[in-house]
Formats: sequence, structure tokens, C-alpha cells
Amino acid sequence: MTNALMTLFPPDAFTLVAVILGMPLLGALINGIWGKRLGNNAVRLMALTAIGVSFVAALLSFLALDTLSHARKDEHVRLVWTAWEWMTTSGKDSAPIGIDVRFSIDALSGVMMLVVTGVGFLIHLYATSYMEHDEGFARFFAYLNLFVFSMLVLILGDNLPLLFVGWEGVGLCSYLLIGFWYQKAENAAAGKKAFLANRIGDFGLICAMFLIAYYCGSLDWKGIADHASNLVSSHEAAQVHVWPLGGGQYTGVLSFLQPKSPFTITAATAVGLALLLGCTGKSAQIPLYVWLPDAMAGPTPVSALIHAATMVTAGIYLVCRMSFVFVLSPFVMTMVACIGAATALFAATIALVQNDIKKVLAYSTVSQLGFMFLGVGVGAFTAGFFHVFTHAFFKACLFLGAGSVIHAMHARIHDGDLSQDLRKMGGLRKYMPLTHWTFLGATAAIIGLPGTSGFFSKDEILFKAFINRSEYHPALKGTLERLHAFQPPTWLGPVLYGVGVAAATMTAFYMCRLYFRTFWGEFNGWKVGTPSEVAAQEHGEHGHKDHGNDHLQIVAGPAPKESPWPMTVPLVILAAFSVFAGFLNPGFHIFALPPMEHWLEPVFKDVMESGTIAVRAGGEHLEFPLAAGGVGAFLVGTSVAYWMYIAQKRKPADAIAAAFPRLHRLMLEKWRIDELYEATVLAAVDSLAETAAAFDQWIVDGILAKVSSAVVVALGAALRVLQNGVVHVYAAMMVVGLTSIGWFFVVPHPEAVVTETAGDYVIVAGPGMGYGYRWDADGNGRPDTETFSDQATVRVHLDLGKSQVVRLEVKNAFGFTAGREISLSRPKPEPTLELGSLGGQIAPMGRQNGGQN
Amino acid sequence: MPLALALSPFLVLGFGALLIMLAEAFGSRRGGMALGSTIVLFATGLTAAGLWMYGLENLKGLEAVAPWLLLDRFTLFFQMLLCLGSALAALTAGGYLPEHELDRGEFYALLLFATFGAMMVSASGDLLTLFLGLETMSLGAYAMTAFRKASPRATEGALKYFLLGSFAAAILLYGFALLYGATGHTDLAGISKVLRAGAVKDPMVVTSLVLILVGLVFKVSAVPFHAWTPDAYEGAPTPATTYMAVVVKAGAFAMMLRILLTAFGDAQSMSWSAGWPPVLAGIAVLTMTVANLVAGRQESVKRMLAYSSIAHAGYLLVGVVATMRAPQQAGASVLFYLLGYTVSTAGAFAALVLCGSRGRETVSYEDLAGIGRRHPAVALPLAFFALSLAGIPPTVGFFAKWFVFRAAVESGFYVLTIVAFLNSVLGAYYYIRVLVYMYMREPAVGAPVAVPMRSGYVVAAVILSAVMVIVLGVAPSDTLDVAVAAALSPG
Repeated sequence: MTNALMTLFPPDAFTLVAVILGMPLLGALINGIWGKRLGNNAVRLMALTAIGVSFVAALLSFLALDTLSHARKDEHVRLVWTAWEWMTTSGKDSAPIGIDVRFSIDALSGVMMLVVTGVGFLIHLYATSYMEHDEGFARFFAYLNLFVFSMLVLILGDNLPLLFVGWEGVGLCSYLLIGFWYQKAENAAAGKKAFLANRIGDFGLICAMFLIAYYCGSLDWKGIADHASNLVSSHEAAQVHVWPLGGGQYTGVLSFLQPKSPFTITAATAVGLALLLGCTGKSAQIPLYVWLPDAMAGPTPVSALIHAATMVTAGIYLVCRMSFVFVLSPFVMTMVACIGAATALFAATIALVQNDIKKVLAYSTVSQLGFMFLGVGVGAFTAGFFHVFTHAFFKACLFLGAGSVIHAMHARIHDGDLSQDLRKMGGLRKYMPLTHWTFLGATAAIIGLPGTSGFFSKDEILFKAFINRSEYHPALKGTLERLHAFQPPTWLGPVLYGVGVAAATMTAFYMCRLYFRTFWGEFNGWKVGTPSEVAAQEHGEHGHKDHGNDHLQIVAGPAPKESPWPMTVPLVILAAFSVFAGFLNPGFHIFALPPMEHWLEPVFKDVMESGTIAVRAGGEHLEFPLAAGGVGAFLVGTSVAYWMYIAQKRKPADAIAAAFPRLHRLMLEKWRIDELYEATVLAAVDSLAETAAAFDQWIVDGILAKVSSAVVVALGAALRVLQNGVVHVYAAMMVVGLTSIGWFFVVPHPEAVVTETAGDYVIVAGPGMGYGYRWDADGNGRPDTETFSDQATVRVHLDLGKSQVVRLEVKNAFGFTAGREISLSRPKPEPTLELGSLGGQIAPMGRQNGGQN
Repeated sequence: MPLALALSPFLVLGFGALLIMLAEAFGSRRGGMALGSTIVLFATGLTAAGLWMYGLENLKGLEAVAPWLLLDRFTLFFQMLLCLGSALAALTAGGYLPEHELDRGEFYALLLFATFGAMMVSASGDLLTLFLGLETMSLGAYAMTAFRKASPRATEGALKYFLLGSFAAAILLYGFALLYGATGHTDLAGISKVLRAGAVKDPMVVTSLVLILVGLVFKVSAVPFHAWTPDAYEGAPTPATTYMAVVVKAGAFAMMLRILLTAFGDAQSMSWSAGWPPVLAGIAVLTMTVANLVAGRQESVKRMLAYSSIAHAGYLLVGVVATMRAPQQAGASVLFYLLGYTVSTAGAFAALVLCGSRGRETVSYEDLAGIGRRHPAVALPLAFFALSLAGIPPTVGFFAKWFVFRAAVESGFYVLTIVAFLNSVLGAYYYIRVLVYMYMREPAVGAPVAVPMRSGYVVAAVILSAVMVIVLGVAPSDTLDVAVAAALSPG
């Protein structure tokens, strides 16, 4: 079968990609345009067929890729399809850079593609039930299909600009879906926040693209990889001057800004930092993580698909894709690792105290993304990417499980906010057994129960964080060390490991807290009060006399019940993957060659063998001892949570909160980072914006716009007078035009171009219809010849310091003549400036040189 | 036989036009006329496309009709382009004429024969065939303009068009006569040979160039020979306006490129001191500036589109000027621009027709107010066409302008390019205004509300143009390669 596949779709014209990409796009178009008219059943069928077919095609492509990589051993194989040639731009020294709409599937994008279409299909299936009663059913699936299409463009695009198209596409879909219930102002605001935070990251990505185009002269993966060595060079000129900017000179009053020695970084560092900015935006890392928790305002399937499983991992995908650029700069690698570790820890502290089920999962996602960054930052690209893979399953499962819980809660309390509140849940395992068991499976994976997928992927990252260290490329080591370039300190590995273990402990705690409070204990959702009633009661101003002192109202209605099959089937499948997918890449020498590592080997082979990732001496033997940290984190976190929430029934938790009220409040309010940004960055931008607005209002609108628009209006009005409908006037205008054109030909225009080499001046008169020329080249004031001839060129020689006037006379076909004087001078060269060779240029240049009318 | 094959676009169109005329005379149903004409035009275009792929160089004996008809890739490109423009006009007519009770079959016969004339213009290598083709094309256009006999505006516009057109034709013919007198040739290649041999010094030749230039710029409706355009465009039924804006203009540019590059392609005639490029550059600057300034003051969308077509003639002239230094690149950019302009303008007119119905036409900007909300499917393509005309990506208009401006910059015409660029900024104002009215305004209380008409023909025209506007805007390179292959080289 694979043979037939290879014949049908040769690797260099792999048109099956068109099906993978085209189906979701088709689904988006049909659901977007005709969805309302088609009805919900047709929309459901279309959306599921689109992603389903796409998934099957992706599976076939994966098979084809597997066959191909077996055929060409140890090679980095790609299945390529060039849709069309997009454009050509030019790089350094105007070397052309072709940018094609070309898609390629290699080991890395192949796995990612399967995750996106596979998990995407399950979430689509889930959403057909979850969103069933929503008015915007068709709109929802149009956006969701469009998201899958954009995500696939991002993954499969063979060059940076195409990746950027997908990058922006998923950003747009994310914006649309976060604000899906746009009638509520805070949802729309959350969408806007996500969009803006991502714009900052996109700026970085664009800068990186420009730098890569300049230094590497190529924008596709292969081209960048081949020319990545241009990014590091021991030459002074190849360094990027950070200060003074661009390597300039500050003189005059600004001279105090001039540093003693310029501060430079390698181009690889500049590119890496710009890419990193892009990745922190998309993958919600410090400092741009703030949008992701708010993004949970969107429907839960969106949170599962976009803000947990796929889109937010695009940053890690990009780091893996561009790994050959990142490893060239130890500074950038260290930054990636540190940002990842810091985010993992920081987000975990916030997740400890949140009461909204989706908020906990949101911060958990930020924290897990931090783990992935930590992995790729220490050069463990396979481990980082494997965590992307496992996280896609367990986090999607957790979000969908949460969605199932919310669905059930909402059916009971009919209140959007309260049905997500942990304090209203409890004991749900009785009512929703399938949701409970799948949620438990995914929780086991994320907290790192030994043997589950999350354990293996997280453990590998922690292990590599301890033992790996980024270094300069061996070829450049000496040079760059002489330049006092950055070196990661030796204590960094253990510190990163420690931070990782702390974050993992917190993860185990808050996930168990979430699990226990949702599924164990007594169900707290029988009595409900609206938030305003709760607040009113707290202030002792209860207005509703009917309910007496009891502000909480018992709501009649059914007990929470299990969700229908389209919601539970994806849960079961995802939970199974969460638990068992770890065996695709387990550590501890369980397999001689773990499948995932083997599969991704060709992608990272060159990077791993380049000598930029050093391993601590004896580090290979530390795998078992270091696993103690991960297992310990699991044990400590889980048992503390069990003790607090089951054994002691929340009493210790309340006691701690009461003992440190301010700390608790600060963590509950997410360390007030949003407020900090509000007060600093946003305030600064606001004041800048107000200044600009004032300038715009008074100067641009007030003076410039009024004057120019008045001119335009006046001219337009004047010209309209001529357009008065009288045919004589029209004819007269034609006559004026005819006369003007005639006049141009009747009057001769003598023009000349002067070129000089070493005192020999060549003057060429401009050609014209019927022109004859007469010269006075010897400067005696009389024409050299009596008659006009075709001789259009004269040569004059001048010695240094001499000058002369050459006169050109032109006679046209009608016998009219006109003259023009060309003064030549050749100044003595000033020895210091060495400008002698430019002397002749001072003479008037013929207009033909410029060519304007 | 190879000759018949090479002439097949003419034969298909000619016989098709005769059939349509007979069907009109003897048939009882009128409904199929638009469809019939469209089929004939597409068949012609496809024949030309087939010839393009087969390769004219594989056909022997084409010199039998030369120099009267030159069967080269330039001709084939224009045959496809003109058929596309005419087909879009015919489809628009298929909805417009019945709706406005103008459904008389001779419109389609006129349209087909005028297209025949335009194709002949693009193919001709001799002044006589050129003039014949030009008049065949123009007479059809005059008659189509006057098609709404009961309307004084239409008659007035058509009469002005006819009077001034005849005036220009006379000037052109006088130029031809002088050129023949000075060179003894009517074929363009022969003229070129004699001019290169030294006849270019003859004052009669210079005079003839002046007269011919006036005739040419009149046909492309450049300032100051444009005054007839708004009146004729506004008075004519919209399909006829489409035809004038698209087919007649493309035919006129074909004629201009043929005459200027083939007959006046020598160094003297192409010179910057006294030749045709500086004249056209001056006219281009004048045309763009005046047209954009006045277009911004219009209240009628149709009249705005008339000025827009004048402004686009200005941008095209920039490309023609650039052929002086980069004939292949600039020539190709002009051809690509014509294609982009054809689909955008024909689409805009078709979408405008679609927006209104009898008694509730969309004439002014006010009539478009709020249509984006009420009839999104009608408004969206119009928005795309307006963006394309303004030259905003991802539409074809962007790449069309980009290629022309790039050709001009690479030939060193910096000032000209800057003027053209500033003008396209100025032009964006009145195109974007269409979008503003459609999506951000509501009609005034009590104002007549436009109701979209229902016509499969017009919808087909809109969809066809919209698809081309987007596809060519996203993937222009293949089409550009075709244009490069079709570009004329001087002399």
C-alpha cells in the first residue's frame, strides 16, 4: 500500500498536503458562508468530515514519510509540495530570495500534524455536543475549522513567511474564539488582550525574519540551516552593534553617550532573541503570559484545542524548528531555559489558590509550557517536544473533562461563573463516573505518576536541565571567549533542576486539590446564590426579605449527570493516550532506542553533533538518582493535597490562608501582574498616545490636513469647472493639448551626459527626432563647425586645476536651434580627502541621466 | 490550414457574431443572447489560449497575412484579454438590459463586432488594418453608448463621444497620411526601417508623431483628451460603460504599444529630448493628478469609476514610458496591469449593477449606505473590487501597480514613480469611501433604498471577476510569466 502511496504522491510533489490543508479550509468556508442556512446537522457533518478526512490524509502522509525515511537511512527526509511561487525579494547585495508557497512534512511537523488533526478531530466531536444549543453553532465551527487550517499552515509551511501566515491565522482565530460570546464585554476584552500581547511577539518574529533574510540569504528551513553559520562570525563587521546603535558615532553634545568600546552581540543572539520574543508571545511565557488565563473566556473546547493542545505550543515548535539557530548562541539558550523555569514556577504558585476550575487549568498550561521551554532551552529538543506531545493529550483531556463538569453544573445552576467555581462542586464522581475516571487518568499524567506519559516527558526535561550546558560552536570557541562573550555559569544546571522540581511539586499539589475538590467530598451545588447576593450578605445589607437570613437558595432541578457520548468518547481516548503515550519515549533504558527519539533523530542530528550542547561529566549515570526529584515532587505534592483536602477536610488550607491573608490575597489576585502592567507599560503607552493624539489633533489635522485638503478641494473644484458639459470646451481642451505636444517637438531641448575618466571628458548629446548637433569644444566662443551634423559625442581633456566651458547647439527638424553650456572643471585633489576621482561630477549632469520629465 | 488555425480566434468570433445576429433576426427568444455571446467570446478566448499553448512558432505560413495581421504572442494575449473583458460586459448586459427594459438583441451583435475590431487593432501591423479595426471597435462603442434612446443624457453622452472621437480619428488619420507621405510605407515595420535609415529627420515625420500621439491618448482617455469620458460613461447603460472602460481601453493600449514600439522604436523617437516618452510622461502625470483630484469630488459612483478609469490610464502610461529603457519588463507590467484593471473594473461595474434594480439603482455613494449589512453577499465583492482598484493587497490591483512601479523605478524614472505613488494614495480616498458607505453608514431616513437585482448572469460576472482578482492577487507569478512572453520588443 505504501508503494502505491509513494507512486501516487512522489516526495517532491506531495499533493496529499493539499487535502490535509484544503479540507479544513473548505469546511470553514462552507460553514462560514452557508452554515446558518444549512442547519446544525449539516454543519456538524461538514466540520467533522473536514477534520476527519484531514486526519486520515495526515495518517497516510505519516506512513509515506515512514517508508521514505526507512528507504533513506538516517537522512532528514521531507515530503514537499510547492503550491505556487509566491514572490521574490532580495537580501544582502540584492541576492534574490525566492519565497514559495511550499509545504513540507518532516519528522517534526509530521508528529505535530497528527496531533493537530487527531486531537482536533476529538475536540470537534466533543464540541458538536458541547455547543449544541448555542446560537452561533455554524460560526463556531467555521472558526474552529479555520483554526485547524491556519495551524496546519503554521506547522507545514516550509519557510518563515509561510509560517508567519499560519502564525497570524491562528492568532486571528484565537481572537475570534476567545471573544466568541462577544456580547459580554469582558470576553471581548480578553480577546483583545490576547491579540495585543501576541502582536508584541509578532514584532519579534518579523524582526527575526528580516535579520535571517539579511544574514542567511534564505527564508526556507533548508536554506537557513545551510547558511546558519553566517550568523556567527569572529569578524567585527558581522556582529550586531547594540550600542552605539548600528555602530555609529556620537559627536557634539551627545558624545557622552559614546562608549569606550562598542557593545556588540552576534547576529545569532539577535535573531535568537527576536525569535524568543515571538515565542514568548504565542506560548504565553514571562513577560507576555498574561493573555492566556484571560483567554479561558472562550468556550471550553476552544481552551482545550487552541489554548492548551496546539496553538500555544507553536512557540516550542518554532524553537525546535530553528534549533540550529538557537544553539549558536548560549546566551539565548540560557534565556530560553531561564524564562521557561521561571514561568513554570511562577504560574504554578498562582494555580495553587485559584477557585475557578478553568483558571487553575490555564495557569497549569502556562506552567507546563514553561517546562517545555526549559527542555528546549537546555538543548533537550526531543524531550521538550515530547512534552508538547504528551501535554496535548493530558491537558486536552483535563480541559474537556472540566468542560464536561461545567456542562453538568450549568445544566443545574444556570450560571456561567458559578458553574466553574470549585467551591460549588464536590462529590461529582458519583454522578459522572466516566468524566471522573478520565480526569483522574489525565491528572495522574500531569502530576507525574511514574509510568504515565507526563512522568516520562517531565522527567527527561528535569534530567537534561541538570546535566546539559550550552556552549559556543567549537570552531568559534576561542575567538568568542576572547571577546568575553557570555558563558552560562556551572551552577545553572542544578538551579534549573531545583526550580523544576519545585514547580513539579506545586503542580502535583494544585492538580490534586482540583481533583479532590471537584470529585470527592460532598456535592456543594444544591444551594446557589448569585455573586451579588453573596456580596450583599457579607455587607449585612440583604435586600431579599423572602429568603430570610439564608442568602443561598436551594435550586430545584436534576442532579448533575454524565455527559452524552460525543463528549465522553473523546475523553476516554485522550485519557488512554495520557496514561500510555509515555512509552513512545521512556527514559531509563527501557528501550534501547525509544521510538520518538529515533523518529526525531534526523531532525536534531546536526544540532546534537555540532558540539554546542555539552554534557556534565558523568551526567549520563545520573538518570536514576535525578529521577528521585520528579518522583519526590509527585509524592510530596499528592500527599500534602490528600492530607489537606481529604484527611483534614480543607481545614489546614483555610488555616494557612487565614495565617497569611495578604499573601493569599496576592496569589489569588495573580501577584497583581496585570495591575503592574497597567501602572507601568500601559500608563507609559497611554501618555505617549495622548501626546501623539494631541500632535495629531493640532498639527496634523489642524494644520497639515486642513491645508492639504483645502488645496485638493480647490483644485478639484477648479478642474470641475472645465468639465461643464459643453462640447466646444472639450474640443478646445484637445486643441490646447495638441498644441502643447506640438510645442514640445518644435522647441529643441539640448541635453548632454558627461562622463570622466582621469581628465578625459566624454560629452554625449541626448538624441532626439531630427536633431543635428554643433559643438564648441575648444572653448573659443565660436562653433567648431559651421554646419549641424550627426556628431553627438565630443571628447575634451582637462589637466588638474583647469576648467573649460563646452557649448552644444541643437537644431531640430523644423530648423529651430537652441544651445546649452556645459562647464567642466577638474579641481586639484586634496590629499587628505582623496576625492580627486569625483571631480568631474561637479559639472552639470544631463537630465537624461536621471530620466525624469 | 495552419493559417486558418492561427486565424481561428478571428474566425470563431466572426462566425459567432454572425450567428448571434441571425439568431436575433429570426429567433423569438431573447433570453439566450447574453449566454450565446458569452459562449462565443469564451470560445474565442479559449481558442487563443489553445494557440498560445500550441505555440505559434509551430505553425507555418503565417507571413501570408503579414504585415496586415501580425499573429504573435502579443496578439494572442490581447485576444484573451479582450474576450475576457467583453464576456464580462456581455454577462453584465444579460442581467442589466432585461431589468431596465432595454433588451434588444443588437446590443450583443454590436458588442461582438466591436470586440472583433479591437482584436484586429491588437493584431494589426499596418496603418490601414489598424484604422479599420479601430473604427470597427469605435462605431460599436458609440452605438452601445447611445443604446438607451429615450434618455437625453445617454444621447448627449454618445453624441459627444462620437463628435470628439471622430475629431480624434481624423487627427490620427491625418498623422497616418503624413507618415505615409514621408516614408512611403503603411506597414509599421517598413516605417520603422525607413525612419532608422534617416527619415526621422523629416519634419513631416515629427508632425505625424504629434498627431498620432493625440489620437492615441484620446482613445485611452488621458487628460486633456478625456473630457468626453465621464459624460459618455455616465450616460451609457452600465454594460456599455464596462465595455468602454475595459475593452476599448485595452484595445487602445494595444494600438499604442504596436505603433510606438514597432514604428517609432528607434533611438531618436524613443529619446528623452524630443521623442514620445517625455510627452507620455507629462500626460501621465497630468492624467493621474487631474483624474484623482476630480474623482474625489464625485457623488456618483459610476462617474467616480469613469474618473478612476482615466486615472488608471495614467498609471498605465507610466508603464508605457518605462518601455523606453526596459521594454520587456515594462511592457509585461503594462499587460499585467491591463488584465488586473480589466477584472477589477468590470467586476466593480457588475457589482454596482447587482446592487440595484429598476427604479432602485445604485448611483451615488448615498445609495450604497448600509448595503454591507443588508446584503453582505453583494457588498463583499464590490469591496474587493474597490480595494483592487486602490491597489491594496491581497488583490490583483496591488501587484499590478507594484510591477508597473518597479519597472519605472528600475528604468530610473524616480520622479514619475513618486508622482504615481502619491496619486495612488490620493486615489485610495475615493475607493475606500465606497467601503465606508457600504459598511459604516446607514441610509438617511426616508431616502430610497437600493434593492439588489436577481440575475444569474451578473452574479456569474461578479464571481468570475472576484475569483480572478483574488487568485491573481495571491499568485501573480504565472500570469506575469505569460505577460513577459507576450511583451513587444521595440523595432
